[in-house]
Amino acid sequence: MSSAAPPPAAPAAPQGRLAAELEKIVTKRIASDQLVLPAMPAVALKCLNLIKDPDFSLKEAAGIIERDPILTALIMRLANSAAMATRDAAQSVLAAVTRMGVQKLRTFLIESSARKVFESRDPRIVEASRGVWEHSLAVAMLGRDIVAFSNAGSPDFGYLAGMLHDVGKPIVAAMLLEAEKAILGAKASATWIDSGEWIGVVQRVHRQVGVALAEKWEMPEPVLRGIRDCQEYDNSDRLSIANAVRFANALAKQEGIYVGEVATEDNDALVMVGRSLLGLDEETVTRLTANLRDKVKEQLS
Amino acid sequence: MKILTVDDSRAVRMLVGKQARELGLEVAEAEDGEQALARIAEGKYDLIVLDITMPVLDGPAFLAALREKGDRTPVLMLTSESKRSIVATLMKLGIDDFILKPFKADELKAKMLKVLKLDKVPAAAPAGGAAAAAESAVVAPGSATAGGKTAVDILVVDDMETVEKRLRTMVPAEVSMEGATSAQAALTAARERVFRLVLVDNDMPNTDSTSLMRQLRVVQPQAGFVSLSLRTVSRAQEESRAAGFDGNLFKPFDTAGLEELLQRYFDNQELLVTKENVLAVAPFHGRENKLPGYFSQVGSLIPKAVDGLAAACFAEVVVDITQMPVILDKTARLVLQLAEHSRRVGLEMRLVGSPELSKVLKQLADTADVPVFASVADAQAGKLGPPAGGSR
Repeated sequence: MSSAAPPPAAPAAPQGRLAAELEKIVTKRIASDQLVLPAMPAVALKCLNLIKDPDFSLKEAAGIIERDPILTALIMRLANSAAMATRDAAQSVLAAVTRMGVQKLRTFLIESSARKVFESRDPRIVEASRGVWEHSLAVAMLGRDIVAFSNAGSPDFGYLAGMLHDVGKPIVAAMLLEAEKAILGAKASATWIDSGEWIGVVQRVHRQVGVALAEKWEMPEPVLRGIRDCQEYDNSDRLSIANAVRFANALAKQEGIYVGEVATEDNDALVMVGRSLLGLDEETVTRLTANLRDKVKEQLS
Repeated sequence: MKILTVDDSRAVRMLVGKQARELGLEVAEAEDGEQALARIAEGKYDLIVLDITMPVLDGPAFLAALREKGDRTPVLMLTSESKRSIVATLMKLGIDDFILKPFKADELKAKMLKVLKLDKVPAAAPAGGAAAAAESAVVAPGSATAGGKTAVDILVVDDMETVEKRLRTMVPAEVSMEGATSAQAALTAARERVFRLVLVDNDMPNTDSTSLMRQLRVVQPQAGFVSLSLRTVSRAQEESRAAGFDGNLFKPFDTAGLEELLQRYFDNQELLVTKENVLAVAPFHGRENKLPGYFSQVGSLIPKAVDGLAAACFAEVVVDITQMPVILDKTARLVLQLAEHSRRVGLEMRLVGSPELSKVLKQLADTADVPVFASVADAQAGKLGPPAGGSR
């Protein structure tokens, strides 16, 4: 990640001021289009480009995936998992790709790429990033089912938008670490800003960064809108991916699958409104959220 | 029961009134918060259906004034406002549920019933009103459930319309049926109705039938799910079970396969009668070639019933198979399976049967020690009769 010109050093500044400085650096980069966003891993990108062609060859797709041993292991595990529910084990990547079909393959490639964005090596954010990824998976699963049951579009788009709705968070977190290092130099770990303020900065700017990443990764338009517009419900377009993601996000928080403080009353209001907005009765919603934590754990394992 | 609808739109008040009256409720109207406070001063209401934006005194101000007086009448918001901050403020003031305009009559009715806790029918409800809407979860086909959902026997999900039409000609008229030619149509149907059996084609364009079945199961947990496949599909039964279906039915349909399916899903209640901890198996009626199906059904029904008794903390289960035909291998296998299952869930099994049954079981090493009681009363008392055939 490239660094911006470091602002004047301010080691004695109060933490609030430091946080403001950091936020300024990040927003300036966003505004001047100088964000350095994680690239999609080459193998995933190549395969995604290949499957855009309706006449693509499964053999060729399998051949590309086989170049990445981690991706190969992941796809074999997924194809032979309970989720794919088959009797005989897939013995090759080609068999796995054939079994999955193009939609599932596309989702798999994007998911495996997104997962890397949430993997931090910095011990200060490694736990939080893992937690945000768990939350994102929960929102993805709920988003898919909510879209399906409310007839709000393609369930796959609901899944992808849910999975990527917070993808800006780890990126902003990494940018903050880098910016702080630029300001404080070697003292960074000793004067790390208050975690509440740090989270505040991430909350305020992550959405723009997430949308920028989704654009860079050429996500379909409904997915982009789902990430960009999921801050507040839109009554004028009730059955939209964005509304489904907003609702899924509130439900995941209600289930306690979230990193950070949740304003319970605000969140309950979102759940209450979301049910009516998307036309889902309480019974359906209860069933959708049943064992959500276990489902997320299963997907993570 | 009486409700007050508070809205500056006459059309909305009329609509709310109509739905409420259909549920057997009395209705009063108010155009704004001030009028509503005046109405409440004159008499008590069981529910207030409240708008937010109104002239004179708006919804939030009315609600705050009401609560300040200590009035805790349930409030159902009916509004076009969805801003989180506003709704959260209303929640703090105490609202029971929320409906976003424009709304569907079904949603309004269901939420009024829920807020009013109308599991029981209001005495004044007209026929077809709350009486129908508030029935218990166990419903007859064509009737309405507690959530206002209609019960239908079979949902056929297949992109070819002819499949449902063909099936319609082959099943008895009293079995209700509905078709869906796309995944979306199936999901919509599943949200709006309650099904006992869902048939899902495993080769629909752009649809993963396993994923669709799983999504449908979320809202139809009580239903059986059977995949539909062509006879040319190898190992269709095994594959569909591995995918999580309860079975598979081949297309084109044949009478035997269909009969077995209908028997499995629509005749079960007659096959096994449970009274406290006594399970009585009904006699077999029909052609001999149906016997394997009969045994297989009984074999799948009894373990579930035994689980229910274990959950209810019974110590013994009395299984009365006096009326079952006795066929050496089938009967012995069933008894073994039953004994093993009862043991696994911690219940003592007491078998009631004919002397012939006792004789048959004694011929096989695995079942020779299974005691057979002559009557349910003997089994309950733990009193065994004389040995079968006098050879003991």
